[in-house]
Amino acid sequence: MSIQLSNIRKSFANDLVLDGVSLDIPTGETLVLFGPSGAGKTVLLRLIAGVVDPDEGRIIVNGVDMDGVVPEDRGIGMAFQNFALFPHMDAHANIASPLTARRETRSGIETRVREVAKLLKIDHVLGHTPAELSNGQKQRTALGRALAAEPSILLLDDPLRNVDAKLRFEMRLELPRLLKAQNATVIFVTQDYKEAMALGDRIAVMGDHGIVQIGTPEEIYLCPSSTRIARLFGDPTINLLDVVPEIGVQGPVVQLSATDVAISGSYAGAVGKACSLGIRPEAIRFVAPGAPGAFPVEIEAETPLNEKTVTLAATRNHREILVSRPAGTPGPDHGKAHVAIDMGNALLFDRATGARIIAADAPTDEMAT
Amino acid sequence: MDQTSTLEKVLRRVAISLVILFFMFPIFWIVLMSFQTNETILRVPPSVIFEPTLSNYVALVTGKLETQAGTLEINFMSNLWNSLFLSAGSVAVGLILGIPAAYAFGRIKFRGSEDIAFTLLSFRFAPPLLVLLPLTIYFQKIGLADTYFGLIWVYQLIVLPLILWIVRGYFEDIPADIEYAYRIAGHSWFSTFRTVALPLAMPGIAAAGLLAFIFAWNNFIFALVLASADKQPVTVGALAFVTASGIQYGQVAAGIVLSILPTLALALYAQRYLVEGLSLGAVKG
Amino acid sequence: MNGAVLRLENVDKFYGAVGQGVHAVRNVSMDVGQGDIIALLGSSGCGKTSTLRMIAGFEETSRGKIHLSGREVQTLPPVRRHVAMAFEGYSLYPTVNVRDNIAFALKAQRLPRAEVDAKVTEVTKMLEIDDILERMPNSLSGGQQQRASLARALIRDADLYLLDEPMGQLEPQLRTLLRGRLKHFIKERGMTAILVTHDQTEANALADEIAVMEDGVLQQFASPAELKERPANLFTGTFVGEPPMNVFPVSVESKAERLVLRFEGGQCLNYPESAFAAEVRAALIANGRVVIGVRPYAVRRSEAGAPANVLTNQWLGDQSHISASFANSTIVLVEHDRARVAIGDRIMIELSPTDLHVFDPESGMAISHGRELT
Repeated sequence: MSIQLSNIRKSFANDLVLDGVSLDIPTGETLVLFGPSGAGKTVLLRLIAGVVDPDEGRIIVNGVDMDGVVPEDRGIGMAFQNFALFPHMDAHANIASPLTARRETRSGIETRVREVAKLLKIDHVLGHTPAELSNGQKQRTALGRALAAEPSILLLDDPLRNVDAKLRFEMRLELPRLLKAQNATVIFVTQDYKEAMALGDRIAVMGDHGIVQIGTPEEIYLCPSSTRIARLFGDPTINLLDVVPEIGVQGPVVQLSATDVAISGSYAGAVGKACSLGIRPEAIRFVAPGAPGAFPVEIEAETPLNEKTVTLAATRNHREILVSRPAGTPGPDHGKAHVAIDMGNALLFDRATGARIIAADAPTDEMAT
Repeated sequence: MDQTSTLEKVLRRVAISLVILFFMFPIFWIVLMSFQTNETILRVPPSVIFEPTLSNYVALVTGKLETQAGTLEINFMSNLWNSLFLSAGSVAVGLILGIPAAYAFGRIKFRGSEDIAFTLLSFRFAPPLLVLLPLTIYFQKIGLADTYFGLIWVYQLIVLPLILWIVRGYFEDIPADIEYAYRIAGHSWFSTFRTVALPLAMPGIAAAGLLAFIFAWNNFIFALVLASADKQPVTVGALAFVTASGIQYGQVAAGIVLSILPTLALALYAQRYLVEGLSLGAVKG
Repeated sequence: MNGAVLRLENVDKFYGAVGQGVHAVRNVSMDVGQGDIIALLGSSGCGKTSTLRMIAGFEETSRGKIHLSGREVQTLPPVRRHVAMAFEGYSLYPTVNVRDNIAFALKAQRLPRAEVDAKVTEVTKMLEIDDILERMPNSLSGGQQQRASLARALIRDADLYLLDEPMGQLEPQLRTLLRGRLKHFIKERGMTAILVTHDQTEANALADEIAVMEDGVLQQFASPAELKERPANLFTGTFVGEPPMNVFPVSVESKAERLVLRFEGGQCLNYPESAFAAEVRAALIANGRVVIGVRPYAVRRSEAGAPANVLTNQWLGDQSHISASFANSTIVLVEHDRARVAIGDRIMIELSPTDLHVFDPESGMAISHGRELT
């Protein structure tokens, strides 16, 4: 089912949370709501679920205005960050709760609970109460409860937040399949950019009481609309270097470690402006001195990060940059090294506002894939 | 740090024994007194060695009080029954009214909800004597004086605020998400209240009910003013032991023992509901 | 003491009576050299925090000895051990501002004002809290409190620095940068540090050597590279490494100079015997049935491999995580550029002999590692 939000406002006791949020989610899409805590992600979910009412604005599901429709009549499945299992019921009864509400036959309920439990690999613990379940099992039970009635709208409020890293990773790989099988419209809330990129057809980045950017994972990662969004995606974080583009021999250049490094000619309009140059750590390579675009740095520390090695290096002006390379590839010796930047994906931001400066000839909507 | 020395263990046990002795001694002494005659009770010095007698209990059960001045009629057993009926009745009414109200105050934030809840609590602050005089007059006008119904109604002043405030706290402690989850699963608010909120607040309801029962049981002043002899609870009925020929300590003690028993039985029964932890594991964190 | 700053000798921790209570730390021995950064890594309840607290002196050592800078300290109170500790729960003094919290120990030593200020500036600049020095602890975010607590420990002069989950609360955008700075700071000054963490990324990033603990037992004590390439058993093999190692039970067949690994579900990988080092080959053939492990980044796509069906392909900006059904189970691949495969695609998977870890299926102990070739 499609969901339309138009101009939603909500505050709690003088505390403005959402200020005019509009959102259009087509049937079958998985939309990720991403942002720091307190950005209003959970509130937005609750508004759609109907357990909180908006101060202003309309929520329309499949063309029907949800104003005045009670939660139990909205046909929604929801999983909570803290699981919110019924502590006095066993896992079976928890998963069955959306089915009992619809007065299904006992055997029908039994079949469906078994089916969901098997899918989520918790069929062996159906008789356990929440207190007897491990964290991972609780999380799966909560998910099972949301899926049991095959709702056409699934709201998942950071369901992987409270499970350990290994389980989180496993579930991240498993979820797309589960969700596709459901054929539902999914809204997934998370604070983990990896989850957001891995699961979302589109990502809505929240901040400042609303949505600050919405787009596919590619658009958000490659063309973030501000430095703030750029910093939220990617680990290690994007390097932001203060630069003032100048006119070089062959177009605009920026000074890095007293070396002129060419930037795209389409940034000519930014010449003379105080800018931040955004460079992803994986776009910087260690090179031999004298290679094109190479500039010297001093190595401060090497910190392995999952399947990558991250190097903290200082430029000649004592600016710190992070360089990332696949683990196992040869790196620099301690001390001095030279790096070069792959400027193809470099981003230029207005230093004062943080907004991205769009290159004159850049493809605007259709990102090269 | 976790290994305590033997001396510390011994000292700890001695201290605990002292505390128990301090609190339990009066009750222990009363139980002893209830098996003695007035003479053995009043002898100097007191002694724990005596010929036990059931005469005090017999007197209470038969309703015949033998004093030096002759035989007095007392209706202690009917007082006991009155106490039981009044206390149980008021707690029942208090729970029926108080639980939904507590749920409303705990869950729904409506205009003035805090003020109303506080007003209800403030009934507990007013000295009972202050309200008694007007209340007596009203009750006599509308024919509620000296009725069980009237008494149970007045007892709500004692039990209702107590139940309301204790149970409300328990409802507030249930994470709202658990109830939301049940609603979203497709159940009405009433079904959610009955199948989720009520069972999870059960320890609180049991505690509040028990406490309210004890308060109602121990009430003296309302019953003294508003109830005539045949509706009096034990607290008021015990006055009968102060006779012209002195205080009948033995019977008083036996009366106390008998009147502790129902509350004690209830407390022991309710204990398993008082054990919390039912909600453990529902919500992470 | 041959250069070790800290030496644990058969240390045990019992909660309750010795020999009867909960055995939280079991016979742990290790040496920590001057200038090393050591991580105690494990999930909650594995004994890492108990170990740290015994070193600090907040927890009684039930059995065994702890040597610190040449002294036997297991019976000394914390103040006489000359260690500095950053607590997980921040534990800043609530009544004084951040600057005084950090400078507390130095002021107690009556160091000159200018020297104290210089040190505070240096450490707080490094941790990016130089702008909140005048604020009170209760007005700070969790991440700021944690950094202030870390600064308070690092500023002191101690033989050993104990850091309990020093970066758990930190804002993710700052984590990688501060890890690099912290490592640089500690290394530059030759400080010796032990950090406790449940986050293997943090352990890998900061530590020279990692002590992996589980069930109170020290499972392996080795450098991050060694843990990755030569895990001692299935536990460390699958615990360390993100995404976790792929693990499959296989049977080994040797025919006509070729070695065949047969997976559950029938897939086979077929290698010339010469691809394995003699001792690895011998171990494989002698065991017949083994568990093989292969790291996700070491799984390659190649036409010569065995077929697998793509279940998910998740692009994270700088790497792709692909999962595929393989051998009645799931295999995970990590590629460092954007993988162009779709759900349902058939891919061919190859595992290089040099990337295989071989474990005993019963005991879980490592039998051999492919890297032993080189």
